[in-house]
Amino acid sequence: MEFTASELMAVAGARELKDRQVVAVGIGLPIVASFLAKKTHAPGMTILFELGVIDPEPVHTGVGLADPRIWHRAKALSSFVDILGTVLHRGRVDVGFLGGLEADQFGNLNTTLVGDPKGKFRHMVGSGGANDIASCAKTTILIMRQEERKFRETISFVTSPGFVNGGDSRQRTGLRGGPSRVITDKAIYGFHPETKKMMLISIHPGNTQQDVTSTLGFQPVIPSHVPFTEPPTAEQLHLIREVIDPERMYMG
Amino acid sequence: MNKLSSLSDAVASIPSGSHVALSGFSITRCVMAFAREVIRQGIRNLTVSQCVGAMDTDLLVGGGAVERLIYGGGSLDRFGRLACVNAGIESGSLRAEEYSSLSIAFRYLAGSLGIPFIPIKSLSGSDLLSRLQEQAGSDVAFVADPFSGERWLTLTPLLPDVAVVQVQTCDEEGNAWIMGPKWDSPEQVKASTRTIVIAEHVVPTEMIRREPERCVVPNLLVSHVVELPFGAHPTSLYREYDYDADEIRNYVEATRKQDSWKAYLDRYVYGVKDHWEYLDLVGGLRRLRTLRADPILGY
Repeated sequence: MEFTASELMAVAGARELKDRQVVAVGIGLPIVASFLAKKTHAPGMTILFELGVIDPEPVHTGVGLADPRIWHRAKALSSFVDILGTVLHRGRVDVGFLGGLEADQFGNLNTTLVGDPKGKFRHMVGSGGANDIASCAKTTILIMRQEERKFRETISFVTSPGFVNGGDSRQRTGLRGGPSRVITDKAIYGFHPETKKMMLISIHPGNTQQDVTSTLGFQPVIPSHVPFTEPPTAEQLHLIREVIDPERMYMG
Repeated sequence: MNKLSSLSDAVASIPSGSHVALSGFSITRCVMAFAREVIRQGIRNLTVSQCVGAMDTDLLVGGGAVERLIYGGGSLDRFGRLACVNAGIESGSLRAEEYSSLSIAFRYLAGSLGIPFIPIKSLSGSDLLSRLQEQAGSDVAFVADPFSGERWLTLTPLLPDVAVVQVQTCDEEGNAWIMGPKWDSPEQVKASTRTIVIAEHVVPTEMIRREPERCVVPNLLVSHVVELPFGAHPTSLYREYDYDADEIRNYVEATRKQDSWKAYLDRYVYGVKDHWEYLDLVGGLRRLRTLRADPILGY
């Protein structure tokens, strides 16, 4: 069955989630990944939106976290201090999804600005709950498109820390957890256990290793054997196209 | 005590230079009518704070009312970025102190509790923190936990002069219900010296007493109650009305150029005497009723 790169990204995100996990979600592909997991192998998962929404069951797609369409049928509606404080900061979030304008090889993310922060720059969105999730979740999954200008040796601004400067520098900063996966439209990466550099785990069907490395601004760790990413199933594609995102609001 | 007030009297109670906390989140529950009146009255040099920067703040910045912004980043969701805020940051005309959602919420929480600082796990290892250390060093500091010796980042409380909060329902004393998620509103109003409540409906206190568990803002915090239909327009008010996508798009288009932005202010802010004329300008009841929320869905 034919599928798009976005559909494979959402499915790969869903596969990382386990039943009964608590997952902090932002708008876009992470919504599709989380609802897909919940409707298939992880019915006992808890979905959180930072502004105070627990386990919604939307029947319409929304333009962002501020759209009441995605709060529909929530089990609880509360606040930042409740979700980001008593759940996330308390250490109860297993997985947080993050995206960004730029990422580096240690999974540090920029959503703040592009250009020179001390000179000429364009200000974008900033953190919202992203820095809180990157700092406090047990693990994070980064989902973003892979282009050389997005995956860079040095990023303009670190909004949300990954493994900081690699090695044990994240722990030395006082942070636990850290990113576990980077899911792009070309491949899936983990992080090397010691250096904490991005490490290729699988390549999406239809891409070569050359396609993957030529669209990164740094050299990832490449193991001797790299399999292809498992394609989506017909059931997963059906759920994405007909149930979760029929208007293609999140899939682009 | 009856605190019912006109919008213009409530706004006139805020001196230039005040610190104002706003209830908007991106494109929902924004105090838009309030922001338009602040600009009309020529109130300036405000400090504005908010967890997630929203359309109310962006309009106030674009209207020249804001000197300093304390926020956790923000956008207009799919409609676009906070163009006026971003332009102010890029040109240096706006002094912005940028945190994360939780760090602003914790600063309000510390303010609401009357404690001198609050430890937080967020911000460490980021350029947000290094910026804040350079910019506003007095609001972030590391301390040793007196019990374990562990090193913690701490933040000072936020203590706004006035919180301005859009709600669905309140009584004339200001006991207010907020439906839907409340983001930073509960801590914001409790950290502030006083609160101006803007309500879609003002109901008898007897109604409030019948469902007291809904009350988020108790009247002891409130100085003014303003009853205003569609006060958050063009943003949404859960269970009352949806966002007005066309008018948000008009706004976003207008922010692209200096002359179109001036024309926007002339038409929607300075060109109308008050909120009633604004509602007529955007189509009056005939159009606004199409935004009314479905009672089951809430949007």
